[in-house]
Amino acid sequence: MLESFANFLQNTGFYALISSGGLDAVKTIIMIAIACVLLYLAIVKKFEPLLLLPIAFGMLLSNLPMIKDSSAIMMHTEFFTDPQYMTDGKYINVGYICQHGGLLDLLYLGVKLGIYPPLIFVGIGCMTDFGPLIANPKSILLGAAAQFGVFFTFVGALVLSALVPSINFGIKEAASIGIIGGADGPTAIYVTKSLAPALLPAIAVAAYSYMALIPVIQPPIMKLMTRKKDRMIVMEQLRPVSKTEKIIFPIVVTIVVGLIIPDAVALVGCLMLGNLLKESGVADRLAKMAQNELMNIVTLFLGVTVGATATASSFLSAQTIGIIVLGLIAFCFSTVGGLLLGNIMCWLTKGKVNPLIGSAGVSAVPMAARVSQTVGQKENPSNFLLMHAMGPNVAGVIGSAVAAGVFLAMFSNL
Amino acid sequence: MYSEALLTGNGVTLSEALSTGGITTLVGLSIVFGVLVLLMIVLMLFKLIFYKKPKTQTAPAPAAAAKPAAAEKVEEVDETELIAVLTAAVAASLNTSTYNLKIKSYRRIDNNMPAWNKAGVTETINNRF
Repeated sequence: MLESFANFLQNTGFYALISSGGLDAVKTIIMIAIACVLLYLAIVKKFEPLLLLPIAFGMLLSNLPMIKDSSAIMMHTEFFTDPQYMTDGKYINVGYICQHGGLLDLLYLGVKLGIYPPLIFVGIGCMTDFGPLIANPKSILLGAAAQFGVFFTFVGALVLSALVPSINFGIKEAASIGIIGGADGPTAIYVTKSLAPALLPAIAVAAYSYMALIPVIQPPIMKLMTRKKDRMIVMEQLRPVSKTEKIIFPIVVTIVVGLIIPDAVALVGCLMLGNLLKESGVADRLAKMAQNELMNIVTLFLGVTVGATATASSFLSAQTIGIIVLGLIAFCFSTVGGLLLGNIMCWLTKGKVNPLIGSAGVSAVPMAARVSQTVGQKENPSNFLLMHAMGPNVAGVIGSAVAAGVFLAMFSNL
Repeated sequence: MYSEALLTGNGVTLSEALSTGGITTLVGLSIVFGVLVLLMIVLMLFKLIFYKKPKTQTAPAPAAAAKPAAAEKVEEVDETELIAVLTAAVAASLNTSTYNLKIKSYRRIDNNMPAWNKAGVTETINNRF
């Protein structure tokens, strides 16, 4: 009787916490506190709650103190990062994970094997209207210019790594951090899981938090980089786009991107598949399923498992602080890149393009476009930039997926 | 192709970071621009192939459709906004695009019935129920 009670006590989290010893116990408590802060941001401040809430809760679940080798452990990050558990020291051992892993280990396979982000892209494709982009082809360039932040931050991460001895970002890590500037969560996760899996939680948290902060980050930069006169420009109305064009567009994009950067097809192809489901009008049931049930289910799995990879040893480091800072730089410079080209286009067309739509080139759909609309309307209340900004906005999604493909093509086989 | 330091991130020198970063940025950004410029050209072809300039029919605006109750509310609102609403309403009822319409003028139809008449009408209607 007394013995079984003692056994029970040894199984409790309290026992695990105390027996893990001073520093580790403190780290565990800090991680749980961080998870609670993120939960607060998600629930009270409403920072991308659909993602941040599962991420934060996953973090909470995997950081609960448990005794070593307990069968209650839901997430074993070591199965995915420690060569000791892998076959040939580099490939994950799916059989072993299936036998010994917890719930979150099994779900995390979807991230590790690159299943979730493309599935989310199918759903995003269903919700995207490429009409404004087809109507104004030049706006696609703004989506390319806004990838400037991605590459700028890539350089920044390498420089930081050279200057600060406790931060070691190689090119793969730098690429994963840079892609935060694409302002596209699934893309960032897709790149990071293949190039720098250890940084996944920090990068996902940074990407999604900054996406939620876009209405705070962008307006000051936009006001700084544009002239009041230009901000008041009213743009010509977009031409109507026929159904045929909307149907052919996703097919053509898939072929073009596939021929040039095969590494981007997983993302761009799925985005276009979703879009075709919607635009074709013959697969309504599939389109509804992809943008509702499928996307919601996958988002939940993705969020919880990405959060669960945030262990004290990987998350509580100088690198995480570096990622948070670099992520902000990435967002700012993506905005700057879009606005620069926006100004150039404004100048070239002699004031027909409002430079404010440039900042919508960062792909956070539709927040970035809404910010362009709000800032534009402040200067000229009868100006409606939203549809004009949606063009660069959806182009940004394609642009960041292409940038991701470039990084994967360059670095994934090193 | 890349040094050990660049791969692991351990002991990267500043010049190495800047040169590798610079080259990657140049190559990467030009590929991104290249792909998107190609898509832009494709989209411009779209316009050539599929788009025919619509004949702008200047339909005489049957603006009478606007309900008086709604009209009273928007009285102080900017006129462009009201016209936008009217165009949309007309387009919806005619099943066409707003691009094909041009509202030239609109006229409010006031309800001129005296208050006592109105009261009488409502009372009669209510009695019939």
